[in-house]
Formats: sequence, C-alpha cells, structure tokens
Amino acid sequence: MAKILIVDDDPDLVEAVSIILESKGYEVSAAYGGIEGLEKAKTENPDLIVLDVMMPDKDGYVVCKELKEDPKYQSIPILLLTAVVSKISTTRYTQQMGMETEADDYVDKPVEPEELVRRIETLLSK
Amino acid sequence: MNEEIKILVIDDEAVMRDGCQRILTKEGCEVVTADNGEAGLAAIQENPQGFEVVLLDLKMPGMSGMEVMEAVKCVNPSLLIVVITGYATVDSAVEAMKKGAYDFIPKPFTPDQLRLVVSRALEKKKLELEAQRLKAEAARSLRDVATEKSKVRTIMHCMADGVLVTDREGRVVLTNPAASRMLEIGTNAILESPLEEVAKDTKLIEAVRGVLEPENSDVSSISQELQIGNSLIRAHTAAVKSEEGETLGTVTVLEDMTYLLELDRMKGDFVAMVSHELRSPISAIEQNINLILQGLTGELSDKQRHLLSRAKERSRGLLELINDLLEISKIDAGMAMQRKEPLQVEEVVKGVVELMEEEARAKGVALRITINGPIKPVLGDRDNLEGVFNNLVNNAIKYTPADGEVRVEVETDGDYIKTVVVDTGIGIPKGDLPRIFDKFYRVKSEKTRGIVGTGLGLSIVKSIVEAHLGSISVESEEGKGTTFTVVLPRLTR
Repeated sequence: MAKILIVDDDPDLVEAVSIILESKGYEVSAAYGGIEGLEKAKTENPDLIVLDVMMPDKDGYVVCKELKEDPKYQSIPILLLTAVVSKISTTRYTQQMGMETEADDYVDKPVEPEELVRRIETLLSK
Repeated sequence: MNEEIKILVIDDEAVMRDGCQRILTKEGCEVVTADNGEAGLAAIQENPQGFEVVLLDLKMPGMSGMEVMEAVKCVNPSLLIVVITGYATVDSAVEAMKKGAYDFIPKPFTPDQLRLVVSRALEKKKLELEAQRLKAEAARSLRDVATEKSKVRTIMHCMADGVLVTDREGRVVLTNPAASRMLEIGTNAILESPLEEVAKDTKLIEAVRGVLEPENSDVSSISQELQIGNSLIRAHTAAVKSEEGETLGTVTVLEDMTYLLELDRMKGDFVAMVSHELRSPISAIEQNINLILQGLTGELSDKQRHLLSRAKERSRGLLELINDLLEISKIDAGMAMQRKEPLQVEEVVKGVVELMEEEARAKGVALRITINGPIKPVLGDRDNLEGVFNNLVNNAIKYTPADGEVRVEVETDGDYIKTVVVDTGIGIPKGDLPRIFDKFYRVKSEKTRGIVGTGLGLSIVKSIVEAHLGSISVESEEGKGTTFTVVLPRLTR
C-alpha cells in the first residue's frame, strides 16, 4: 500500500488525517512542521505528501517549491491543505493555487474524509 | 436745557443774581447763587462735581473773580466758568480766558445773550463728556482686542492640530507649536518670512501658492497628505477671503496621521492574528467531528449522529464568521483593490453563475443570466469582484423559495457597467432596507430563521464595490422579491 507523509503543525489535524488514511489502509508518517516535513520527504521518500500551507517555521508553499525544484523529488505528488481565507472568494483559490504553486492539488481545511480520500486516490493513480 | 443742570451764580449785585436765576430757572436749570467770592468758592469746594457751569462776576468786593477762578481750577479743573465782566473790556476778558475761563459775557446783557452763553457752555460740556465716553470705549475695545488675541493665542497653542497662516504674499504670519513640530521648523524668527524660507515641503508650498493665485480664486481649499520625515501629515489649505471675495491670505490646518495609521495597522494585524488563531482550532474541531461522523472511530447511534451534526453546523458558522472578519480586516487595510486589471464584468458574472448552478438546481430555483449587448471593460480586482457577485447570487438563491427565480443581467449604462441580481424571494422589510449594508446587520424574521449567515456579507460587498468607485443599491418588496444593482465605472483612457 502507498506511503503518505502528512505535514501539519497542528497535531490534532495530523491525527485526524492519519485516522482517515489509515482506515483506508495507507501507511502514514507524520511531520509537525515545514522543516521536518522537508527532511522526511527526502529520507522516507513517500508516495504522496499531504502538506499544510500555514506553518510557522517554513510554510507549505516554500516546502512545495523546494521539492518540486529538486529532480529527485519532483515526481512526488503534493496535496496542499489550505485554510479557506474567505468564503466570499472561495473561487479565487481555484485559480490562485493553480497559478502560484506547483502543488498537484489542493483541498480546503477542514475536509470531508471521503473528499480527501478521493483526491488522494486520483493523485496516486496518475 | 436740562433740569439736572446745576448752575452757580457768583455776583455781589442782587439784581444780577436774581436776573440770572430767573432766566436760567425758566430754562429748566437749577440755579444756586452766592453773593461773594468766598461763598461761591465754598459751595464749589463742598461739592466739586456739583455744578456744570459757574457764572462768575470778575469785580467783587473781597475775593475777586480772578482769585475765585484760580482757586476753582485747583478743585475742579474741568468746571466751566463763564466770566461776567462789568467793564466790557477786551483786556479783562482775555486775561480771564487766559486763566482758564471758558467764555465771557459783558454786563449789561439780555436774557437771550445769557441763554446763548450758558447753552454754548453746556454744549461744550456735553462734547467733553462724549469725548470722554468715546475714549473710554476705545480703551475698552483695545483691551477686548488684547483679550481676544490672547484667547486665540492660547487656543492655538493648545491645539493638537497645526495651524499655519500666511498673508496674501505668502509670508508666514502665524503658526502654532504643533505646526512647527509637524513641519519641522524652528519657532524663532519665522514670522513675516516667505513660506519658502520656513517650510521645506514643496507640496505644501505649492498648495499655498496655488490657493493664492488669482486664477485659482474658485478653489476654496486643497487637501493633501504630506510625508515629512517619518510622519504622515494631512494638510488642508484654504484661502481667507474678504467680504468682497478678495484673497487676503491662506490658512493651513495640519493633522498628524502617523499615530492613526499606526493604530489602524495594529488593529488590522490584531484582527488578522486573532482570526488565524481562532480558525486553526475550529478547523481541527470540525475535522475531528467529520471523522467521527464518518464512522471511522466506530459506529454512532442516531442521537450521537444528530448532536454531532449540530455541533458541526455550529462550528461551520463560526468558521464563516471568522473568514468574514478576516475579509473585512483586509478591506480595511486597503486590499479590496489590490490587483487592478481590465476586466469583463459579464465574464466574471458568468463564472459565478456557473458555480452556483448546482446549488440553485438543488434548491429548485431557476438561475438565469442575460448579457445585453457589448460590455465595455472595467478596471478591477477579479477575485474581489467575483466575491461580490458570488455573495449577491448566493444570497438571492438562499432567500428564494423553491420554484422561484434568480435573474442576473449585465448591461452597459453610459459610462457604467450595470449588473442587476433579481430574485423572487421573500424580500426585505422596508424598515430594514437602509441598514442591510451595515456590518453585522441581519434581518431576523420567521422566514429567515433557517438561513445561516454572519451578517457581514453585504457590508463586505459594499466596501469592495466602493473601492472600485462604484455603487450598490437595493430595492425590495416583501413577499415579492429583491433587486440588487451594482454599478461600476467603465475603463476610460
């Protein structure tokens, strides 16, 4: 089964996402910050990364950029976990995320478990 | 003549005294007589201000008229003395006048002559009194002016705002300490100097000179922001005009905005910080509820499922409120028009309508869009305008019952692009209409009870539209529907 790295500074969120993914049989590993996430991505070589955007030490955009610029890791699919900045312009995220990051997909926090699993399955099947 | 006028007649001849008394009493004067110099002088000494006029015989036994006069001058120098002279010689009259008599009347005289002389004397007295009054008044008003000046000076010194006044030549005639501080000018020896020598800020100098220009006589004031050192100063420069409309000089009022801006920035930071700090835990709460509801942690009873669904709904509402607060704080920070680009409003609206179709269908509301004719581009922030129409269309669907209709129309209206969102929903009560764009205002009624909202949406919409120099208006009839009209200025080059 595929190995998934979850990177988020909020341990509760890491736990919640872990439960969802483990229930589907994925092997899960966790990092609690951008720097740790970047390290684990390189050492553990996961099949997919679920990456939070807002982290105090190194934010998700930077982690994403660094991985995507490195030929060794650029093939790892990245699913960004974003917090919806505003309801009024939810749609802006569709465009902004696509344009401004090289992440493979994104999903708003909090996420419906089924939605998260569907996105991950899609990314892994590519 | 006035009855209050008291006249003293000093003459040794009873005929003269009686004659004078008779004539002047008829004129309404009060006449007191003395039959020699000593008695007369005594009467005056007893009450120096008691008489207005003294009729004084020069030649009397005992104390002579001249002697009486000299003595009287010591007691009351302003007492008017009219000399009666039996000799009718110019010499004695001149001598008496030299000694301070006001006038003379030769013996024998007719009643008319006496009346004339006395009334002339009284006239003189009246003028003197008038002159005295005027002098006192002048002194008083001078004192008032001095008081006023000191009052103005005190007010100016205490003011937190700076004041800089120039004459019509642009010379500085008045400044207060606040102005000196804000403009970074010394307080010494600046008065009467041309503004250019006092202030360094070219924008301020231009404004003052500009207001003084005769061809700018229709310009009443110029408001601008000055960056002086690390301070941001708002300056209002206005012309001072005479009643005839002639420019007499300028007044500039300076307001230090630095502190205010800093405060505003801090408020924005605070709101953003709090919102972020609030949002993360609520996200986590909702995430966990989602897991449990999904059955990933074990089976749930119906009761548990119901309670958790409610909890999830409430935390979702809280999250929306925080998101709206964040949006507001961003607009306050001037981010509503951050990325300006030429936009086709109809394309933005079309995109929004497409996104909403699913929701409308689910609710059984017909959603239609009409684009009337070619639409000129506007200059705007795509994300924020999208938010505006998203909000309006979303609201329209929310407040329209099943089988209703939401219609969106875009058209060019002169120099403006007009977008109308019409629904056949529950409408807004007339009394609530003026307040629906206020922050946190929500219409509460039986019909809106089931509708979730934060009450911030329309105030955000209004802020964004206004940041685009546009306007938004609303018309509504209860039970029939609501129409929102957004007007945005088209791009001109």
